[in-house]
Amino acid sequence: MMLLLFIFPAVLFAQETLTGKTINESTGVAVPFVNVIEKGTSNGTTSDLDGNFSLSVESLPTTLVFSYIGFETQERVVTQNSPINVSFIEAAASLDEVVITGLATSIKRSNSANAVASISAEELIGTTPPPTLDGAFYGKFAGAVVNANSGAPGGGLSIKLRGATSIQGNTQPLYIIDGVYVDNSSIAAGLNTVSAAASGGSASNQDNPTNRIADINPEDIANIEILKGASAAAIYGSGAAAGVVIITTKRGKAGETKFRFSQSMGWTEAINLLGVRDYTEQRVLDSFGEDDRAAFVAARDAGTLVDYEDEIYGEKGLINITNFSMSGGSEKTRFFAGVTHNDEDGIVKNTGYGKTSLRLNLDHTPTDFLKLSMSSNFINSSSDRGFFNNDNSGATIGIALTATRPWDALFPNENGIYPDHPNNSSNPLQTRDLVKNNETVNRIIMGGSANLDLYKADKSNLELILRGGLDFYGQSTRALFPKALQGQKIANGGLNGVSVQGDTQNKNYNLSAFLVHNYFTDNNLNFRTQAGITREYFDQNTELITATGLVASETNVDQAANTGTDQTRLLQENSGFFAQEEVNYKDMFIATLGVRGDKSSNNGDAKELFYYPKASLAVNLNEFEFWNEGSNWNQFKLRAAYGEAGNFPPFGALFTSYDAFSTDGVLGISLVGIRGDANLKSERQKELEFGTDVNFFSGRVGLSATYYIKTVDDLILRADLEPSTGFTRQFVNAGSLENKGIELSLDTRPVVTENFLWDLGINFFKNKSEITELRVPPFNLGAFGAGLGSFRIEEGKSATQIIGSFPEGLRVVGDAEPDFQMAFNNNLEYKNIQFSMLWQWKQGGENVNLTTLLTDLNQTSHDFDDFGVDPSGELPNGEFRPGANASVHTEDASYVRLREVGLYYTIQSETLANVLSGSIDSIKLGFSGTNLINIFDYNSFDPEVSNFGGGSIFTGVDVLPFPSSKRFLFNLSVNF
Amino acid sequence: MKTYINKILLLSLIFISVTSCEVQEFSDLNNAEVDAFENNLNRGDLQDLVGGILYSSRLRLGIYFDDNGIIGREYYRFSASDPRFTSDMLGKGSLILDNNTFYITAPWGSRYRTVKNANLILGFLENQDLSAQFTDQEITATKGFLKTFIGYELLLNLNLTYQNGIRVDVADENNLGPFVSYDASLSAIRDFLEEGAIDLTAGGAEFPFILSSGFNGFNTPATFLQANKAISARVAAYQGDAAAALAFLDDSFLNLSGEDLNTGIYYNFSLDQKDIVNPLFVSIDGITSANSRVVEPSFVTDAEIGDNRLSKVVELDSPLSQDGLSGNYAVFRYTSLIDDIPIIRNEELILLYAEANITVNPDEAVNALNIIRESAGLNPYTGPTDTESLIDEMLKQRRYSLYAEGHRWIDVRRYNRLDELPIARADDDVFVQFPIPLTENQ
Repeated sequence: MMLLLFIFPAVLFAQETLTGKTINESTGVAVPFVNVIEKGTSNGTTSDLDGNFSLSVESLPTTLVFSYIGFETQERVVTQNSPINVSFIEAAASLDEVVITGLATSIKRSNSANAVASISAEELIGTTPPPTLDGAFYGKFAGAVVNANSGAPGGGLSIKLRGATSIQGNTQPLYIIDGVYVDNSSIAAGLNTVSAAASGGSASNQDNPTNRIADINPEDIANIEILKGASAAAIYGSGAAAGVVIITTKRGKAGETKFRFSQSMGWTEAINLLGVRDYTEQRVLDSFGEDDRAAFVAARDAGTLVDYEDEIYGEKGLINITNFSMSGGSEKTRFFAGVTHNDEDGIVKNTGYGKTSLRLNLDHTPTDFLKLSMSSNFINSSSDRGFFNNDNSGATIGIALTATRPWDALFPNENGIYPDHPNNSSNPLQTRDLVKNNETVNRIIMGGSANLDLYKADKSNLELILRGGLDFYGQSTRALFPKALQGQKIANGGLNGVSVQGDTQNKNYNLSAFLVHNYFTDNNLNFRTQAGITREYFDQNTELITATGLVASETNVDQAANTGTDQTRLLQENSGFFAQEEVNYKDMFIATLGVRGDKSSNNGDAKELFYYPKASLAVNLNEFEFWNEGSNWNQFKLRAAYGEAGNFPPFGALFTSYDAFSTDGVLGISLVGIRGDANLKSERQKELEFGTDVNFFSGRVGLSATYYIKTVDDLILRADLEPSTGFTRQFVNAGSLENKGIELSLDTRPVVTENFLWDLGINFFKNKSEITELRVPPFNLGAFGAGLGSFRIEEGKSATQIIGSFPEGLRVVGDAEPDFQMAFNNNLEYKNIQFSMLWQWKQGGENVNLTTLLTDLNQTSHDFDDFGVDPSGELPNGEFRPGANASVHTEDASYVRLREVGLYYTIQSETLANVLSGSIDSIKLGFSGTNLINIFDYNSFDPEVSNFGGGSIFTGVDVLPFPSSKRFLFNLSVNF
Repeated sequence: MKTYINKILLLSLIFISVTSCEVQEFSDLNNAEVDAFENNLNRGDLQDLVGGILYSSRLRLGIYFDDNGIIGREYYRFSASDPRFTSDMLGKGSLILDNNTFYITAPWGSRYRTVKNANLILGFLENQDLSAQFTDQEITATKGFLKTFIGYELLLNLNLTYQNGIRVDVADENNLGPFVSYDASLSAIRDFLEEGAIDLTAGGAEFPFILSSGFNGFNTPATFLQANKAISARVAAYQGDAAAALAFLDDSFLNLSGEDLNTGIYYNFSLDQKDIVNPLFVSIDGITSANSRVVEPSFVTDAEIGDNRLSKVVELDSPLSQDGLSGNYAVFRYTSLIDDIPIIRNEELILLYAEANITVNPDEAVNALNIIRESAGLNPYTGPTDTESLIDEMLKQRRYSLYAEGHRWIDVRRYNRLDELPIARADDDVFVQFPIPLTENQ
C-alpha cells in the first residue's frame, strides 16, 4: 500500500523554508522521491528526481523524518536553516517497510502488532521464475504448508496457514489483488464419466483440476503480504478464517521510462521415477503364467523390452518464458505495463501449460488532494493435464501402467493403430496420445481506487478512499476420449467415445468506501480512526455437457448418441462495515481496536449481522527513554493480538434436496443424501497471537518469534447419519478445533563487505491441531476406508490423524501434520555475481500411499521381489502389502528440497556504456532451477501429493499421481 | 470545484450506505428442495418423485449382486482398481468383512435411500389435501406401490446382514426404530407387502404415474398387485411358511406353462447421462484380469450334460487369474450395457412353487422341477423323492436357473449348507452375513 504523498499548497504562514538533498550513501547517486515529513504533523513533501527537496515549516527547531522504501528511515533535528544532506543506506530487514493494518491503511513494520509475513518481488521471482504464483510461496515465510496436488502442469496447489482451519469448510486463504477479491476456484472437468473414480467408497472430485490463482503472473507483483490468521484477518470478516493473501502489483514511478525485458528458457524433467520390477523367467511364470513367460523370453532375447514408465514420464518438457515491462510517467500520471508469455511442456507428451498475461496499471494525480489509480490484467491460459489419478475402470494412465509389463507390445504400428493392451482395459500410450484434457481460461481482473484528501490541517486530516474491483473469467474444460481408444470400443464395454465440455462463467465484483482520519496531538500521541462499508458479489455458473457415443471423429456434443447436462450455480452476496481505532504513543505503544460486522447470503440467516472484533498491542521497548540510542540492539518489540474471523458453511449445507435422474427415459428425483440445516451457523475462529521482534546491528540481525492459539468454534462437520435414515451425512455445528503453534524466523546479513554480501533467512514453524470438542460420535473421512488408512475426527485427537482398522479395533497409524518445517534462504553477492539458494525441510507428517498397493495387485511393483516390509521377513514386499493393515500403507512424507537455486552475473551500465549509446542499465544472465535436489525416503514418486485436491485439510493421499518435476532454466534479463 | 466534489462525495456516500445493507437470501439454486413438495404437490411432481424411486432402487445394485455372487461362490470378481473383492470378501488369510467398507455401506445406504424417498412421498400424500389433483383411489394405489417397494428394499438389506437384522421403522429420521432380529424383520417386511396389497386392491384402474418399460404388463394397480404377491411368496419361502407361499403364488403371475420363464418386473438401464448402465455387464473382449467376473469352476463341472443354462457363461481363450484364484469361464449373464436385470420373474416363481410343494405335495414339486429341467434341455427328474433329495434337486435347479441373480448365497444359507460351497484357497472363509455398517452406531 502506498504512502500517500502530502503536498501542501503554500497557504499556511511559512516561517522557514528548509532545503536539502537526499543521496544514496554507497553510490553517491541521488535518491529521488524520498518522503520528507515534519515529525508529528502531516506537513511534508517529497524530494524530486535529483534528490532536492524544499519544505516550509512553522518554526525551528523541528524534526524532519526522511523515509523511502528499501532504505533506512532517517531523522534529523533541524535547528537552523541550512541545506541538509541526507545519506541513505539500504536496509537489510526493512523495519520501515509498510504492512497492512485495517482495510485501507498501512503502518510501519516496526509498529505492527502481528507477525508480519511478506514477500517482496525479489524474494518471489528473484531466484527463479516459479511455475505458478502459489508455487513461489514454498519456504518464503513461516506458518504456511504449501502442497502441490500433483506434478501436472498448470498448478493445483493448496496453501494452509497455521494448520487446519476447518474440516468441511474452506481451508484456502482469500486472495486480494490491488483491492480486488480474486476467485480461486477449482472446477472439475467431468472426467468421472470415464474414470468412475467417485464410486468405490469415496465420493468426491478426483479430476485433479487446477486452481485459479495459477493465472496470476508472478512477474507483475511488487509485494505480497500474508495475514495468517484471525488476529490479522479479522478486518476481512466472514470469509477470512483461513487467512488473507494481499497482493500489490507494480506501479509506475515518475521519471524516465524504464524498460525491462527478460527471457527464460530451459526444460523440466521428472524428479523421481520408480523403475520396473526385476523380472526373471521364474518370476514371470509365477506371476503371469506360461504365455507371458514365453512373451517375456521372446522380447528379452529380441531386445524389445520397454520401460514404459520411462516412456511415458521420461520426456524433457521445454520451458519458455518471455516478459516485457515498462514503467514511467510524470508527476501527475504514472503507468506500469507488462506482458508475459509462458509456454511450458510437461514431462508427459501432450501435457503442458501456456499463459499470456497483459497488465496495465495507471496512477493519476489530477490535483494535489485527489489520487486515482487503476489496475487491469487480462490473462489467457491453457493447460493440458493428461488423464491421471484414481479410477475404477483401468482407464487413467497411472492405473494402466500398474498392469503394464515390459514385454507388452503397446506401440502403434506404421498406420498409427494402437494394439489393445493384453493385460488391461486401456493402452496407456494410446491414452497419452489420443486423450485430450484441457482447461482454458480467459480472465480479466480490474480494480480501481480513488483517494481524496477531504480535509487537511496541521494536526489532523481526513481522507476518503473508494475502491472497486471486478474479476470476470470464462473457463472452458474440454475432455475428449475418442472412439479409437481401447476402453471406449463397444466390444470392450466402452461408451464409444466421450466428449465432456464444461463452461464456467464467473463474475465477481466488490465495492468499498472508507474514511480515514488522522489526529496528531502535541505530546506525540497520534490517533488514526477508520470506518468503512464493503459489498461483495459472487456469481458463478458452470455447465457441463457430457456426450457419449460420438459420431465418427466428431467432438461436438450434439454429434453423439447420448448427451447429459449438469448445471451448478453459485450466488453469494456479502455486505459489511468495519471500524478501527489505532493509537500510537511515540511509537512506544501502538494499540489497535476494531470491529467488523458482516452479513452474507451464505450464512444460515442472511439477515443476521455477525461481529468480528480485533484488538492488538505492540510495545517497542527500544523507543522508551531508558533505551540506549546508540546501542547495537535496535529493536525490541513485544506484541499481542487477538481477532475473530468467520468461515462460511460449505456449499449446499443449508439445504435438503433432491437431484434429478432418469430411468429408461422416465425422469425421477431422488434424495441427494445429505441432510442440510437452514439454521446452520458459520464457523468462528478466534486467534490469539503473542510474539516478539528483535533487531540488532541496524538490521543486520533480526529475530521474530510468535506463538499462536487458533480456536475454531461451531465447527461444521459433515457428520455421519445412520444410513437407515435415508441420509448418509448431515451438516451440524458440532465441535471445536484448536491449533497451537510456534513460528520462528531469523533474518540476518552475516557478512557485509565492499564486495561481498551474504543474506541469510531461516524460518521454522510447528503446528499441532486438536479436536477439542465433538458433539457427534467420532467418524472417519477422507481416503478410502479404515482398512487402507483413513482420517478420523475424534475428540481429544489431532484433526489430521490417520487411523487404520486392526483386529482389536481402530488404531492411530500416523498424522498428516508435519512435526515441523524449516526453510533456509541464502543470498550471496560478490561484486556482480549473485548466488541464491532456498532449501526447504519438512520433517514428519504421513501420507496414505496406495500407489504401491495397486502395483502389487498387478504384480508389477518395482520392489515386488525385495524384502523389508514384512516384519517377519517371510514374504516379499509385493506379496505382503496387499493383505496388510493400514500401518503398512502409511508412510513418512518428510523431505528436504532445494526449492530454488540461481546463479547470476550482472553486467552493469558502466560496462555497457558503449552499447546502444549507453541506454542499457544492466544485463543479468544466469542459470536457475526449481526442485533440483530432492531428498526423501518414500515409496512413490513424491511425498508431496494429494489425490483429492487442495480443498480440504486431508492432503497426502497418494494414488498414482502425475509425477512431480524439476526445472532447469537459463535466464537473461535486460533493463534499459 | 472543491465544493462540487464535496457535494458529489456526500451524495455518493449516502447512496452507497443506503443500497449496500441488504443481502438477498438464496434458496438451493441447483436442486429441488424437499420442503417444496410439502404443499401444492401436483401430478407432475408425483411422477418425478416416483421416478426417483425407480432410480434409487438401482443405486449400487451391482455391489449387491456381487456381494451375493462372490460370497455364494458363483464367481470371483477380478478388479485392478479394488483388491477387496478377492481378499476381504473371500476371507483371504485372516481378513474379515469390515463394517465400514463399500461392500456393505454402499448397498445398505442406497436401499435405505429408496425407503426414505418412498416415506417422504407417503408423508406428502398424508399431510396435505390433494383432492384437487388426485382421486382417492389414485392416492391409495400410489401408497400400495410405495409400500411394496419399501418391503422389497428392506428385504435386500436383510439378505446381506441376515441374523444381524435391520431397522424396519425408519420413517422418522429423528426417531429411528431399533434393529430387529432376522425373523422379526421378515415379518415386518411381509406386513409392508401385505398392507401394500390391500392398498393396491383398493387402488382403482390406473396409477397416477407411468413406470419404466421394465414394468410392462405390471403397470396398473391390479397387475402390480401380482408382482407384490410374487415378492411376498419369496418372503414366505424365506420364512419356511410353505402354505402362505403357495397362497401368495396363487395370486401372483405364476405361470406353469414353462414358456414364459422371463415374465416379470425388471430393473431398466440406459446410456442416458443421468441414468445408470447395467453394472454387471463386461463385454467379451473387455474381459481381462483387471476387470472381469470369472466363474467359479464347479459351476461348469457340476452341471448336467446338455444344460443350456451354461449359456450364461462364456469360455475364455486362456484362463484368467488374480490373487491366487483362476478360472476358464467368465460370467455373461447380461449381454449389453442396457440389458435388464430381473427383480422377480416367473422362473423363480416356478421354483418357489416347487420348494413350497416339497413339504405339501411332493409330486407337484417334481412336476414343477421338471418344467424347469425341460426348458433347460434336461431330462425329467428320476431321483429319490424324499424331502432331503428334493431339496437338493431344488437347490441345484435354483443354482443354475437363477445364476448370478443374487440368490445362491441366500438359498444355501437358509438351508444351512454354507459348508458345501467350494473354497479356492486354504485360508479362505465362507461368510454367513455382513456386519451392520459402522455408522449405524450399533
